[in-house]
Amino acid sequence: MASKATTARTLLRSSAWSTSSRTAAPSFKQSFGARFASTQSSTAPASSVFTSGATLAAATGLTVGSIAWYTHLYGELPLIGGVSASSLADNGLHPAEHPWSHKGVLDSFDHASIRRGYQVYREVCAACHSLDRIAWRNLVGVSHAVDEVKEMAAEVEYEDGPNDQGEMFQRPGKLSDYMPKPYPNEEAARAGNAGALPPDLSLIVKARHGAADYVYSLLTGYIDPPAGVTVREGLNYNPYFPGGAIAMARVLFDGLVEYPDGTPATTSQMAKDVTTFLHWAAEPEHDERKKIGLQALIIFGSLLTLSLYTKRFKWTPLKTRKIVYVPPKDAH
Amino acid sequence: MSLANNFYNLIFKRNSVYVPVVFASAFAFGIGFDLGTTAFWDSWNKGKQWKDIRHNYVQQEE
Amino acid sequence: MSTLARSVTRVNLAPTVSQFSTGVPKAPVFVNFAAKAPHDAHGHHGPSAIRSDVAPSWATEVKLRNGFNGLVSKTHVTAPPTVPGSFRHIHTSRAVQEAPEVPDYSSYKTSSGSNNRALSYFLVGSMGVVSASLAKSTVTGFLSSMAASADVLALAKVEVEMANIPEGKNVIIKWRGKPVFIRHRTPEEIEEANSVDVKALRDPQTDEARTKQPEWLVMLGVCTHLGCVPIGESGDYGGWFCPCHGSHYDISGRIRAGPAPTNLEIPEYTIDEGAGKIVVG
Repeated sequence: MASKATTARTLLRSSAWSTSSRTAAPSFKQSFGARFASTQSSTAPASSVFTSGATLAAATGLTVGSIAWYTHLYGELPLIGGVSASSLADNGLHPAEHPWSHKGVLDSFDHASIRRGYQVYREVCAACHSLDRIAWRNLVGVSHAVDEVKEMAAEVEYEDGPNDQGEMFQRPGKLSDYMPKPYPNEEAARAGNAGALPPDLSLIVKARHGAADYVYSLLTGYIDPPAGVTVREGLNYNPYFPGGAIAMARVLFDGLVEYPDGTPATTSQMAKDVTTFLHWAAEPEHDERKKIGLQALIIFGSLLTLSLYTKRFKWTPLKTRKIVYVPPKDAH
Repeated sequence: MSLANNFYNLIFKRNSVYVPVVFASAFAFGIGFDLGTTAFWDSWNKGKQWKDIRHNYVQQEE
Repeated sequence: MSTLARSVTRVNLAPTVSQFSTGVPKAPVFVNFAAKAPHDAHGHHGPSAIRSDVAPSWATEVKLRNGFNGLVSKTHVTAPPTVPGSFRHIHTSRAVQEAPEVPDYSSYKTSSGSNNRALSYFLVGSMGVVSASLAKSTVTGFLSSMAASADVLALAKVEVEMANIPEGKNVIIKWRGKPVFIRHRTPEEIEEANSVDVKALRDPQTDEARTKQPEWLVMLGVCTHLGCVPIGESGDYGGWFCPCHGSHYDISGRIRAGPAPTNLEIPEYTIDEGAGKIVVG
């Protein structure tokens, strides 16, 4: 009995490895309850709706249909439509990269240029453009000394109040006042500029594609319209401006301002200075940011190195140890 | 050899010395690091920052 | 018909694993956890049911293959059949070694343990130094964000031209939303303020303690009772009078009569003689 049972078990075991054998497989089907490989057709459907032909056809139809619908709606293929080359008429001429003195990761602003740029802004741009987010005090220690800024601020009248009688009154500006606006409100600004609103310049460098390069290119890029391009009356042609027709006329001409420090006031010099000033206005934290970035990189770099060393140091005994199993002597 | 041993016996041997030394060094390191990076920053951006050009404008007025 | 060619024992053993035609074993797709090794009695209870020294009877059968010239199967068994209690002679595991070979690590060993010890402590300590410095900077940064911002600080100071205030006149300015009284006092008023018996006052304070220069009295114009704004140059003591509940302050802003508990508050201020300005804040 015992030997018979053992033999049967052995056969059972060997059959587990030879299920491909056609003769053996059916006879063991019942005892195993599962067949591992078979050439016979299956009795139950092997798959669900996910692999059916109807599903495949429906999914394909849905995909093709939605692409077609998108293309019909927007006139371009989805996802790959945006890769089209930018058109001069729609996006403007791509501005060239200029070697700004603050371009490198460790380069601060050229503050003498900021000071000249403020002069250009005050004498030229401020006639139409506001600079709402810059207060007089922001200039202190950046481009002007405290007393200079106090003097400049005091030249401007600000409305304050109410006083004891409940009336508003005019007073000279203080350091805490913000830059005066050329127009009291947007409607007045539009009315004064043939319907076009001169944008606020506080964040203009951050708010335009191409940033400082764009602003510089725009200021220096006024040319006559090329053949075949007609610009409406009151607009000016500038290839860097999206659409090409800009309401602002060319304002910077050689010798327009006179720099006290003797720098020749060429158009490009003034454009560079005012762009540097506007870049500072958009990013007053620029210098500090780059300096802290340098410090952070050094600190985190050395901290990484040291922690790698410490990790290896602490793990060495764990990594190099050897665990030996000494089996107990046989008790039998 | 003896230098390393001296350091070990002086600083690292007792935690009561080691930890205060670490904190004191952190304080000194903070100041020194600030001074060092500022010196580098100022030399790298020489002539561009306000403190480099301030004398041009303030002396004119006084 | 086939005839037995020789009376030799040839065995056609099923391999322990199924094979491809090349002889490479097939990995089973299914692990039969239910299969158990035959019970081994460890030799405690006499001879086992299976004798390991004799090939089992099913393995020694001579098999003829029909339809192929009657040849006996050519598969020779070179290993004894695997039965319980016998060694497996064909396997892929590594040979057992009595003593494992240990590589020579001596070149990795340091020549100076004390140098290494000091270096390790130094580097671990350095990490502590840099981390502590970083943590300090981080905490300082967060704390400094609680301080007043630059635009608030710009409004926090008020400058008053001293030349604009004639002797014996009051000026009320706004500073941080509160009125500030500035009085240019006459010599008589200063004398009057100093002649008061300080000890008899509700809130004893000398006039000197309340002014930086006796000619200039700078006070917060908020009654210490319930916060009304007192009226200047009125009241029983020649100073200020609060109309709300009738508190009387003297020419030094000290409480003399009425419900107010303390003297009028003195804000922080400096007198800039050179520029002729009082800077409040």
